[in-house]
Amino acid sequence: MRKMKFIAALVCLLLVLPLSLQVNAQTPIKVGLIVPLSGPWARQGQVMRAAAELAIEQINAGGGIRAHGGRPLELVVFDAGDSVERAKNAAQRMVAEEPDLVGATGAYLSSFTLAVTEVTERAQIPMLTLSYSDLVTSRGFDYIFQTSATGAYQAENAIPLLLDMAENASGKRPETIGIVMDNTAASVAFVSPIIDGDALAVNNLELVVNEVFTPPLANATPLIQRVRSRRPDLLLLLPTAVSDAKLLLEKMNEFGLGRGRLPTISNGSAMGDPDLAANMPTALLEGVMSIVANWSTSGQEQMIADYMAFSGEPWMTQNPLCAFGHIWLLKEALELADTVDSVAVKDALHTMDINEGASEYFAGGRVRFDETGKRRDAEILVIQWQNGEPRTVYPDSAAMGQIIWPSR
Amino acid sequence: MSVSGVRKDFLHIALFGLVYIVLAALVSNSYYLLIMTIVPVWAVMGLSWNLFSGYSGLISFGHAAFFGLGAYLVALCMVVWELNPWITIPLATLAGGVSGLLVGIPTFRLRGHYFALAMLAYPLALLYIFEWLGYQEVALPMNRKAPLMYMQFENPFYYVLLGLLLLLFTLVITTLISHSRLGMSLLAIKLDEDAAEAVGINTLYWKLVAITISAALAGAAGGFYAVVLLVVTPLAVFGMLVSAQALIFAMFGGVGTLWGPVLGAIILVPLSEILYARYAADFPGIQGVIYGVAIIAVILFAPEGILWKVRSLLRPGQFRMLGSSASVADFSADESLLAVTHDDRNETILEVSDLSKAYGGLQATDALSFKVRQGELLGIIGPNGAGKTTLFNLLNGFVKPDKGSIHFQNKALLNLRPNRICAMGIARTFQVAKPFTHLSVLDNVIVGAYVHTSSRQAAGQIASAAIALVGLEQQCDLPGANLTNKELRLMELARALASKPSLILVDEILAGLDPEAMQEMLVVLQKVRALGITIVIIEHSMQAMVQLVDRFVVLDHGALLAQGSPEEIVKNPAVIEAYLGKKWLENA
Amino acid sequence: MGAMYGLMCVGLTIIFGVMRVINFAQGEFMMLGMYFAYFCFAWFGTYAFFDGLWFPFLLALLAGPAVFLVGLVLHRLLINAVTGRQASQLEAQGHYAQLVLTLGIALVLQNGGLFLFGSSPVSVSNELSYSAWEWGPMIGERVSVFVNQAQTISAILAVFVVIGFGLLMARTRLGKSLRASADNPDAAIYMGINVDRAHRLAFGFGVGITAIGGGLLASNAPFQPYIGTEYVIIMYAGVVLGGLGSIRGAFLGGLSIGVLQQVSAIILPNQLQNTVIFICFLIIILFRPQGFFGKKDRTA
Repeated sequence: MRKMKFIAALVCLLLVLPLSLQVNAQTPIKVGLIVPLSGPWARQGQVMRAAAELAIEQINAGGGIRAHGGRPLELVVFDAGDSVERAKNAAQRMVAEEPDLVGATGAYLSSFTLAVTEVTERAQIPMLTLSYSDLVTSRGFDYIFQTSATGAYQAENAIPLLLDMAENASGKRPETIGIVMDNTAASVAFVSPIIDGDALAVNNLELVVNEVFTPPLANATPLIQRVRSRRPDLLLLLPTAVSDAKLLLEKMNEFGLGRGRLPTISNGSAMGDPDLAANMPTALLEGVMSIVANWSTSGQEQMIADYMAFSGEPWMTQNPLCAFGHIWLLKEALELADTVDSVAVKDALHTMDINEGASEYFAGGRVRFDETGKRRDAEILVIQWQNGEPRTVYPDSAAMGQIIWPSR
Repeated sequence: MSVSGVRKDFLHIALFGLVYIVLAALVSNSYYLLIMTIVPVWAVMGLSWNLFSGYSGLISFGHAAFFGLGAYLVALCMVVWELNPWITIPLATLAGGVSGLLVGIPTFRLRGHYFALAMLAYPLALLYIFEWLGYQEVALPMNRKAPLMYMQFENPFYYVLLGLLLLLFTLVITTLISHSRLGMSLLAIKLDEDAAEAVGINTLYWKLVAITISAALAGAAGGFYAVVLLVVTPLAVFGMLVSAQALIFAMFGGVGTLWGPVLGAIILVPLSEILYARYAADFPGIQGVIYGVAIIAVILFAPEGILWKVRSLLRPGQFRMLGSSASVADFSADESLLAVTHDDRNETILEVSDLSKAYGGLQATDALSFKVRQGELLGIIGPNGAGKTTLFNLLNGFVKPDKGSIHFQNKALLNLRPNRICAMGIARTFQVAKPFTHLSVLDNVIVGAYVHTSSRQAAGQIASAAIALVGLEQQCDLPGANLTNKELRLMELARALASKPSLILVDEILAGLDPEAMQEMLVVLQKVRALGITIVIIEHSMQAMVQLVDRFVVLDHGALLAQGSPEEIVKNPAVIEAYLGKKWLENA
Repeated sequence: MGAMYGLMCVGLTIIFGVMRVINFAQGEFMMLGMYFAYFCFAWFGTYAFFDGLWFPFLLALLAGPAVFLVGLVLHRLLINAVTGRQASQLEAQGHYAQLVLTLGIALVLQNGGLFLFGSSPVSVSNELSYSAWEWGPMIGERVSVFVNQAQTISAILAVFVVIGFGLLMARTRLGKSLRASADNPDAAIYMGINVDRAHRLAFGFGVGITAIGGGLLASNAPFQPYIGTEYVIIMYAGVVLGGLGSIRGAFLGGLSIGVLQQVSAIILPNQLQNTVIFICFLIIILFRPQGFFGKKDRTA
């Protein structure tokens, strides 16, 4: 009897083993994308989704995750919606419905990212984010990975960088600076270290205009009027919404400050978004610069062409590029991980140090994270509108065009 | 009956809590548990809104202000001082209450749409102020050392439990209030604010009490919301959406009911979540369209909310009643409760001197002076537009005079609110009857009886006595809206009597009555008079009055034309001229 | 800017004045007007004949009748059920139902807009919107007055529309029936006026005029389907400021809001601009609830 049982079990095992192996090889590994796909920020979510899908397609076409038998990746998409509550609900749904998720990326707005990561941290799912708010990595979380230079870092380094660029290009170091910003979290995170810290004093800069507005801006006249009367050498212009950017730039043009007559620098991708070009003549944007945490750089031409064909977008901005890069980073981490589970992926991300492959998609090249999840080598890029398109102009290694410093 | 009504509600609340907790215990999916945590938050917001707006009828678009203050208080206290939510949520409740009071004091000057729109401004102003202060996003720090202290549970079940406790607490408070004097007063305000004021309800006071409690609950909901979400942004807690959700849930389920807002939240929160989860990623926007269509469809089908619709389907034809379900049999009717004792008949009880009031070019009351003696039955007559009703409005405080003075029992009445005047002992009825339509006759009268007592038992006894006096015992349980003209007038008289007045102002109580009913009414008035109550009665026609009154005051164009005994007045040529015209006098 | 606010406020006040309905979907009708202008601009703009600089402004005016029709249909199908005489049976004259209904309509229009039009901000722009007539320099080198060309044309058009509508209300039979229905619906019925029809027209006019305001604004700033909520509150502030139900008042109220925004920006931090509006709004509503230009309430 015992013998019979043993044989039966053996037969079963033999039958099942190849089957299960085969299933294992074909079962996709799930990665999550959680971005706003509805509500006022839906557009950004949609381009990020397109980029993430492209990355998945490329990875699977290239043979999937080789370290785990070539298993393909599968993207599961969740809508972070239009409010923090929705974002948090979506994250909870993601961890509840996809128990074998190995990692995720998102969630565009830093307030969404903060809420989403509260959930993923407890569910032990590594979350890659492009949000550069300092708050994201200052909570002592283990499962958060911030690939962009933080707001404080950007602010600290941007001013000397800009002054150098101005001096190199025009021969004169700027002495006065003006700031016109909205009061969204991203803009505040960028500007408050500049104003509250000693960045101005160290660089011998005088702050002559400091205007904060609440989006949506009803009328840009009083703001620009003040800029016009004080004429700073350098203007930091930080709108987040396309409509505000349009109003400000049009008003600057109206007042004879536009079309590159006043060196204008922004922060973040809003100022380089295709939406902007769709809503105003690009002539008004010519020469406007922006400090960004990521942008398409030289050497990525093929990928960008693929993306443009895939999504129909005219160029690739920071957000889709990050989503694209994050999927590739998750792939690299899976290759390094011993097992296909989220904790192993988290450990792999923490020990990872790569200088090629996926790291090309991030400013500063090399990708490694410190214990808080901050990327050690994250750098900033400068883009400038040239011939109707925002191009990377700094650093030189990544530049797709030469910087044109406006002169009066 | 009212006590057992409370008990029945408590039983329902306990059952609901039990079912909810058993369901939550059966669910292990953390996402469903999160939704089960958020449902109570919004149900509490709906109840909080309902407690104020649903019962008082003043629509508030500003509950986000209290919610947001609660949420920010909890978040900021935790970030800055590391205070735990066990302390700060009660603090948030307190802060909500205080802010409700502060908002209420200036805003209750307004009524109707103006009030609704003014309330809109508070949360929006706060939203911009918090952005300006730099609190674009506040994250509650994760506390690994003492998670329980900071309400950071591993098991999401405990969040459901806390949310449910908050909801049960709110339900209990709502139940207690709806069966109390506060609930009755708010209903009276909702049904007819003028009448409420005239029967001695201090409308401002009760509205302030209501908004304070309501705002405190909203503050608590906000505080708990911050703990659940862990991230607070101005838009998420002060935004239009927060106020709108509270109001949608309450209205969807049924305004002015205990379970309406809960039902609204239980249906709509998961519905909107499911729609988002299922469709938003593929068809952005479609979820909002379906959600909106669902709301529109329900409102077209049940414009007063699901609960009311269900009720009317279950018991078709039955008139909707609010308030308690007390019955007259619960109380003994002792007419002596209403008696007024005077030391001195013929003493002046009311003195009006030089009273003037103009509307634009129209002089409604023109330097009017007269006296009313204790215990007398004074008739005020005059042709249409003589300023009779304006005089009553001046006497009971609805209208402020331009000039002149009124003294009642030697105390000045100017600048007193109607409810104060009522409490001093002047009651009135209205030319166009103002019943509280959705309250029973007994409740209508009980509302009036609360002036001199806060005990429900005592109020019920006084009300029963007043009802017995006017002879409405049979109609006691009918709603105010279903009465005949005569019954309405009798009910108003009983309501006025219930405030134990020394003086009753009776406005055209005989208008539209057939001769038989008129006779009945005269008998009742005599009975009232027999109690020692002074009566001032306005009447258009002289005939019925001649046999009733002791004395007439005749008005014409706002001024005193004549006064004196009925015999003198019918012979007075000036009066005849005013009534019948000059020609008639000449021919006579 | 102020003139366009004024125009939108007029639209709202017609609905409120005649129907006594608080319409929360008003901002969404403005959004419809904007998209109407946008799509016509996109479709016809390619023909040389329509290439003129005047074209966006014409479209803005056309948005009025188009949204007017939408308003008529919506009133017939939905709003009518909870307003006017039908509502008198309901609690609080159906105010609760009206609020929830208009909020529901707002949700449907907003999200329907997102579904159909997408979330990318769009705009109807031509070079007028970033050109100014410059007067000056005067008094020294740096002072000169800039007047935005697109805004000026929009403002002038807005004033014309309001005057036109004012005449319509004051002079024609239609206007009389609208006013009568507003003053006393019951009496109007006895006079043989079809109050339902008057309400329907009022709703149509209200949303139509607001849509013109939206269309004019469209040549000024980019917009997406969510824009309505941002404006509806400003509209209400303007309407209350001017006195509920008064057309002239609403226009001036909207105008004052626009001016207030500008002036407060000169004195106070720019981001408190809107707070200033709401605080002024509160002060005015608390101390002069009939508004600056409204008649005193007749009720005691």
